[in-house]
Amino acid sequence: MTRADRKTLRAIKKAEKAKKKEEKYYLASQWQLMARKLGRHKLARVSMVILGFLYLVALFGDFLAPYSLTAYDADAKDMPPTPIHFMYGDEFIGPYVFPSKWETLKMSVAEMSRAKKEAAERGETFSTRQIVTDETSPQKLQWLVHGSPYRILGIFESDIHLFGVEKGKIFLFGSDNLGRDLFSRIILGGQVSLTIPFAGTLLSFVLGLLIGSISGYFGGWVDNVIQRIIEVLNSLPSLPLWMALSAAIPAGIPPVRMYLLITVILSLIGWTGLARVVRGKFMSLKNEDYILAARLAGVSDMKIILKHMVPGFMSYLIVNLTLGIPSMIIGETSMSFLGLGIQAPATSWGVLLKEAQNVTNIVSHPWCLIPLFFVVLTVLAFNFLGDGMRDAADPYK
Amino acid sequence: MGRYIGRRVLTFIPILLIMSIVIFFIIQLPPGDYLTSYVAGLKAEGQIVDESEMESLKERYGLDQPWFIQYFKWMWGILTRFDFGYSFDYEKPVWPVIAEVLPMTIIVSLATMLFNYLVGIPIGIYSAVHQYSIGDYCFTFVGFLGMAVPNFLFAILLMYGTYIWTGTAFIGLYTSDILVGLQQGTLQWYDLLLRGDFWGRMAIPIIVIGTSGTCGTLRSMRAQMLDELGRNYVLCARAKGVSERRIIYKYCLRAALNPTVSGLSGVLSHIFNGSTISAIVMNLQLVGPRLYNALKAQDMYLAGTILLVMGFLIVLGTLLSDILLAWLDPRIRFSGRRGEG
Amino acid sequence: MSDQPIIQVRDLHISIDMDEGTLTPVRGVSFEIHPGETLGLVGESGCGKSLTSKAILGINEKKCHARGEILFRDGEDRVTDMLKLDPRGKAIRAIRGSQISMIFQEPMVAFSPMYTIGNQINECTRLHITKDKKESKAITLEMMKKVGIANAEKRYDQFPHEFSGGMLQRALIAMALVCRPRLLIADEPTTALDVTIQAQILELMQELQKELGMAILFITHDLGTVAKMCDRVAVMYLGRIVETGTAREIYRNPQHPYTRGLMNSVHKIGTRKLDRLFSIEGTVPLALNLKDGCGFFDRCGERTEGICDLKEPELYCLGGTHCAACVRCREEVTGGA
Repeated sequence: MTRADRKTLRAIKKAEKAKKKEEKYYLASQWQLMARKLGRHKLARVSMVILGFLYLVALFGDFLAPYSLTAYDADAKDMPPTPIHFMYGDEFIGPYVFPSKWETLKMSVAEMSRAKKEAAERGETFSTRQIVTDETSPQKLQWLVHGSPYRILGIFESDIHLFGVEKGKIFLFGSDNLGRDLFSRIILGGQVSLTIPFAGTLLSFVLGLLIGSISGYFGGWVDNVIQRIIEVLNSLPSLPLWMALSAAIPAGIPPVRMYLLITVILSLIGWTGLARVVRGKFMSLKNEDYILAARLAGVSDMKIILKHMVPGFMSYLIVNLTLGIPSMIIGETSMSFLGLGIQAPATSWGVLLKEAQNVTNIVSHPWCLIPLFFVVLTVLAFNFLGDGMRDAADPYK
Repeated sequence: MGRYIGRRVLTFIPILLIMSIVIFFIIQLPPGDYLTSYVAGLKAEGQIVDESEMESLKERYGLDQPWFIQYFKWMWGILTRFDFGYSFDYEKPVWPVIAEVLPMTIIVSLATMLFNYLVGIPIGIYSAVHQYSIGDYCFTFVGFLGMAVPNFLFAILLMYGTYIWTGTAFIGLYTSDILVGLQQGTLQWYDLLLRGDFWGRMAIPIIVIGTSGTCGTLRSMRAQMLDELGRNYVLCARAKGVSERRIIYKYCLRAALNPTVSGLSGVLSHIFNGSTISAIVMNLQLVGPRLYNALKAQDMYLAGTILLVMGFLIVLGTLLSDILLAWLDPRIRFSGRRGEG
Repeated sequence: MSDQPIIQVRDLHISIDMDEGTLTPVRGVSFEIHPGETLGLVGESGCGKSLTSKAILGINEKKCHARGEILFRDGEDRVTDMLKLDPRGKAIRAIRGSQISMIFQEPMVAFSPMYTIGNQINECTRLHITKDKKESKAITLEMMKKVGIANAEKRYDQFPHEFSGGMLQRALIAMALVCRPRLLIADEPTTALDVTIQAQILELMQELQKELGMAILFITHDLGTVAKMCDRVAVMYLGRIVETGTAREIYRNPQHPYTRGLMNSVHKIGTRKLDRLFSIEGTVPLALNLKDGCGFFDRCGERTEGICDLKEPELYCLGGTHCAACVRCREEVTGGA
C-alpha cells in the first residue's frame, strides 16, 4: 500500500465518519434534537448551571449550612455580615474572623447629640449598644467541623458541617432579630422554596394531563362542565384564592403536612392552563388518521391516549411546565411572606423576607434583603430556561 | 354584532354561578364559624351578648346548617335584597364595608391597567420594530427582571428607595389632608380624581402593581409584532408603496393587538393579585387588606364577597375584551368564535 | 413605444450576513426587459429568483445587501438606479405600486385579514392616483371589474376570508394593476392555485398586458407556464443566470445541462404511466462558502473533471440572443478547446 493509498483510505474513513454523524443528526429523536438546541441557547445554558447549583446546595443544605434552623444566639441579634480576613498583622493565616457581640458601652462624647452633650457635662452618662470585636483572638475558619446533627437526604445521619468557627459565630449574610444565621436559613429555606414549586408543578402536571385528556378525549357534556370550571378558576385572581385556601389550613399542624398542603393549594389553581393545552391538542389529534387507525385496530382508549397521543405533545407540556414554575415560586414566597404559607419552625425564602416587611427594618439591617436576590435569581433562571426550551421545542426554528 | 354580544353575555351567567359556589365552598372550609367563637370570646370576657341578635343572624344565614343551605341563603339574599351577608368583624352588613374601599380599588386597577397598556404596548412596538438594537436589549432585560421580581418585593424596594431619597416612609394611599377630608366627609372619592397631590401619591402603587403585568404585555406585544412584521401582507403592502409607519400602525398593530386584548382579563387578575399583596405591604386603603384580615379572622361573608367582586370584575373584563376583539378582528365577528392565542 | 428597456439589471449581487458566514444567493445577475415584453425567470426554489425580483422594488429584508445596478426608466424617460434609493424613502415608494408593482405567490396571505379587499386595493389608488375618495373608489371598482370580479360593489366591502383563492388572486392582480404600472413582477402567481384557475389567471394576465402595454417579469419554476406566457426566458441556478434566450430558442435547443434537466422533468402528455419522470439528482446547494468551478458541477451528468470544477463558466453566446454558461457551449462557439 503506497502512501497515497493510505491517504485516500484515511480520507474515505473520515468521510464515512462525517456521514455517520450527519445520519445521527437526522435519526436523532425529538428529545435529542431539543437537548442539542437547548445546549446552544446561551442564556438557557447559564440558567441550567445556576439552577443545578442552587438545587445541589439545597440537597446538601444541612451539610453546607453552619447552623441548624433552631440555633439562635441572644448575644448576636441583628448582626451584620461577618467580615472575613486573611492577613493577621503582616502574616497570612488563611480565612479567619474576629469573634464579636453586642455590648452596652458608655457613650463616647463624639456620638452624643448636643442635648446629650450638655447633660453629660452636668455629669450624666449615656449608654449605647455597640458591636464589639475581639481583635486579639482571630478565629480561623475550620473545615468539616462537628455541629448540630442532621440527616442527609433523610437517611445518613451526620453532624459534620462544611465550615465553622470554634469561638463566636460566623454570619456570612448577617443574623436576624433572634440571632439566627441568615446564610444557614437561606440555604435551609431554599430546600422548601425550591422544592414546593417543583412538587406543585408536578402535581398540577398530573392534574392537568388527567383532566385535560378526559375533557378532550370524551368531549360532550364532560368537556363542557370541565371547561366551565376552568373558566371560573381562570376568572379568579390566583393570589386571593391561594390566600383563602391557605387560611383554611389549621394552625399548628406538623411542618411536613403543611408543606404538602401548600403544594396542593398551589397546584389546585395551576393545572387549568395545562388542561386547556392538553384538551386542545387532544381535540386536534383526535381527528388525525393515525389515531383513527389505532382505534379501528382495536387499541384501547387508555393505550391510545398514553402511547399515541401524549408523546405527540410531551415536549410542549414540559415547556409549559417550566414556564409555570416561576409563578409558583412567587406564589409560595408571597403566601409565606404574608404569614399564610410556611410557618415557623420551618422556613422558606418568603418567611425570611418577612423581616423586610417594614422600611425601618430594611434601613437598619439591609442584609435582610439578601433572600430577595435568591428569589429573583431563581425566577429569572427558570424564565430563561423555559424560554430556551420553548425555542428548542419549536421544530420550525 | 348585537347578537354576538347578547350570546356572550348569556354565557357568563353560568360562569358567575359556578364561581359563587366555588368561592363559598372555599371560604367555609375553615372548621368552626366566626359567630360561635366570637360569642364564646365575648362571654369569656364577661361581656353581655345580645343573644336575640345572634340568633337572628344565625337564622338569617343558616349558620348551623350544612354549607350548601348556607350558600343558597347567601345567594338568595344577594339576588333578592342585594344583601351580601354580615361582617362579624366590622359588625355591620358586608356591602358598606366593601363600598368604602371598592371605588378606590377600581380606580387604582383601571389606572394600573392604563399604565400597563400605555407603557407596555408602545415599548413592545418599539422593541419589535428595532429588533436587536440596544434599546430592544435594554427593554428585554428590564422586561424579564420586571416579571421576575414579585410585586410585594418591588413594593418594599420602592419604599426603601423613597425612604433613602426623601427620608420619609411611604405609607398609605392618601396624604394626611386628604385623609382628614375623607374622614370628615368634606371630600368624596370622586373629588380625588381631580387632585394633583392624589395622583402624585398614586404613582408608586401604580408602578408597583403594574410593573410585572406591563413587562408581560411588553413581551407579548413584542413577540406579536415581530410575528406580524414577518407576514406576507407586510411585504405586499410595502410593494404597493405604503410607508413603514403606516404598515406598522394600520396593519401590524391592529393584528398584534388581538392577543393583547384577549389577555385583558388576565391582566386584570394580575392587577388584583398585585394590588392585594402590595396593598397589604404598603398599607393602602384597598380591598386587599380587608380580604387579608377577613380571611385571618374567618369573617367569611366579607372574604367571600370580596372574592366574588374580584371574579365578577374579571368576568366583566373578559366580556369587554371579547367585544373589543370582535370589533378589531372581522374573522371573529363573523364566525362568532374567539381567536386563538 | 420606445425601444429602450424599461428595466436593466446589471451585475446584481445579493449577500446575506449570517452567523455561519456570508450567504451569496444572487451572484452577478444581468438582464433587461423592454416595454410590452415578458421575461420568464426560471429556476428551482432557492436559486435566487425571488430575491432578485424583490431587489428591484427594494423590499428585501434589511439583512440582505445588494450591489450592482438596477436601472429603471420611468414614463418620462428618466432613468433611476433603484439600488441607490433609500429603501424606506419617499422616492422609491412613489415608484412602488404605481410604476412597478408585484403579484405574490400566495394570495391568501398577501392581504391583511383585518381590512376589506376594497380598502386594501383602494389604498393603492389613493396613494398614487388621487386623494379624492369618490374618484378613487370608482377607479378601484373599475379595475376590480376588469380583472373579472363579478359583483364588484359588494365584493369591495368583503373581507379576504370571504374570497376564494382564485378570486383573491384576481383581487391581488387588480391591486397590482390599478395604477397601470410599466412593469409588473409576477412571483409565481399561479403556484398556489388549482390547475383550472391557473389557466384563467394566466389568460387574464395576458389580456391585461395587451390592454395596458406593460412589461412583465414572470417568475416561475414551471416551464409549461413559461412557454405559454414568455417572450424571452432566463434560467437561473445558484444565483446566476445559466442560460438565456427567446422562449423558442430555449425550448427547441436547450444548451445548459441544467436547462435540459428541467425540460426533461416536465411531465408530458403521452408518456407511458410506468416511465419514471426524470429528475435532477440532488438539491440546490446552500450558497455558503461556494467552491470554485461551475455551481452545477455536483449535479451535472455531463461534467468534465479538471475543467468544470476549476472556474465558473461565463455566458457564451451562440449567435443571436441565445447564451449559456457552460464550457460545452464555449467549445461550440470557439470550435473546440
